[in-house]
Amino acid sequence: MPSIVPAFGWLEGLAWTTALRESPFGYPLIETSHVACIVVFAGLVIMMDLRLVGLAFTQAPLAQIQRRLFPWQMGSFVPSMATGILLFCVDPLRYYRNVLFLAKLVFLVLAGLNALAFHLKTYRRVEGWDEDTQVTAIARLAGGASLLLWSLIIVSSRLIPNNWFK
Amino acid sequence: MKTKIFLVMLVVGAFCAVQPAQAHHAFAAEYDLTKPVTLNGIVTRMEWANPHGWIYLDTKEPNGAVKHWMIETAAPSQLSRHGLKKADFTDGMTALVKGYQGKTDPGLANGRTLVLKDGRNFYIGSVGGPNDGAEPQ
Amino acid sequence: MLLPFFEWCDGLAISQAYRDSTYLFPVTQALHLLAVTIFVGAIVIGDLRMLGWGPLGQSRASITRSAGSILLWAGLAVLLTGIPQFTTNALTYHRSWLFVFKMYVLAAALLFTVTVRQRVAGADEGRLPSWVPKAVGAVSLALWMGVTISGRLITYYG
Repeated sequence: MPSIVPAFGWLEGLAWTTALRESPFGYPLIETSHVACIVVFAGLVIMMDLRLVGLAFTQAPLAQIQRRLFPWQMGSFVPSMATGILLFCVDPLRYYRNVLFLAKLVFLVLAGLNALAFHLKTYRRVEGWDEDTQVTAIARLAGGASLLLWSLIIVSSRLIPNNWFK
Repeated sequence: MKTKIFLVMLVVGAFCAVQPAQAHHAFAAEYDLTKPVTLNGIVTRMEWANPHGWIYLDTKEPNGAVKHWMIETAAPSQLSRHGLKKADFTDGMTALVKGYQGKTDPGLANGRTLVLKDGRNFYIGSVGGPNDGAEPQ
Repeated sequence: MLLPFFEWCDGLAISQAYRDSTYLFPVTQALHLLAVTIFVGAIVIGDLRMLGWGPLGQSRASITRSAGSILLWAGLAVLLTGIPQFTTNALTYHRSWLFVFKMYVLAAALLFTVTVRQRVAGADEGRLPSWVPKAVGAVSLALWMGVTISGRLITYYG
């Protein structure tokens, strides 16, 4: 399998990634936006998960919580992802070699799959839940998995800069 | 109940304020405070980069061998604040760096001060480093 | 200002323990970010509700109550993970103008949250003119995001 390293080297050498890497304003802006958006996005996801597992907001109909929060979650997820990609492009080789960064990506994919699975399984039945504030087994499972995965994502992200496990 | 909330939030807030303020990584996670180094050598490369700059410095060991150092600095915004410019670095120039050696990597160091050949002195340490008097007041 | 207090913090045994350990500080940082995320999530869900954009199926007062317990627990975690980080680097923060700025925004956010926001969020629907909860939600969001953002910028503009 051909190595991706030269491609990353090329990416790192581009004029715009170099400019971003050296900038006194652009990079801080992007990193700060990344953190702010993630905190809002993950915070809202965790709120929804707490509802799914029945620990909080128990009087809100499930369909309501999901439907009303979704645009805000997407609204903060998209810039999180965009800024994340930009940050990666600034120093791709360093992140590629960082075990905690790779772990974060794995957890992100798993969290996405978990969300997709839950959505597919319950989408058709969600209308029937409007009147029913009981949390079903599926919701509890998906919510619990999501809570665990997002905690792992946040913790691994924060540990990335320490360059451990080289 | 309200007083309880208020008190907790008051203290919480105080530390909420502080935490994100922290440099994005812990000094002690990678660098050894008990191993201060003074490195006099030749700059082979300087990466003027976010979130950290990197000075690649070659020093001569007592036995004549060349040691390659990779020295971490603060971000460009901080370096500029302390008067340093990217143009101050040319490959092959001599420089003196004071800092602390890496915990697991002996060729790694966290740079705190830089002295150029023309005698100019700069603080290059990233936020979160030791308070050893090197930082400008 | 208050230098003796910062010096005292710097000299504590726990500060030294954190300076010596390879893992203590980063792990505490990571758990702290998780606690902050949960705290901000609870604030934002309440603020969105006040702005009329969040979940409507539950009354504003009931969302506030649920979020309130989360704020307390998350807040406690923020506190416990925050203290050692502050004391370990107290002297660095003492020199930082952005840190001082952040403290002011923080004080404002806290005061606003436990007074105006608490009262408005807990009020029954329809008792206040509709612009009031909207304004409160917007100010709360601005203040708490201000705290987060100004803190993050210390690394760059210190």
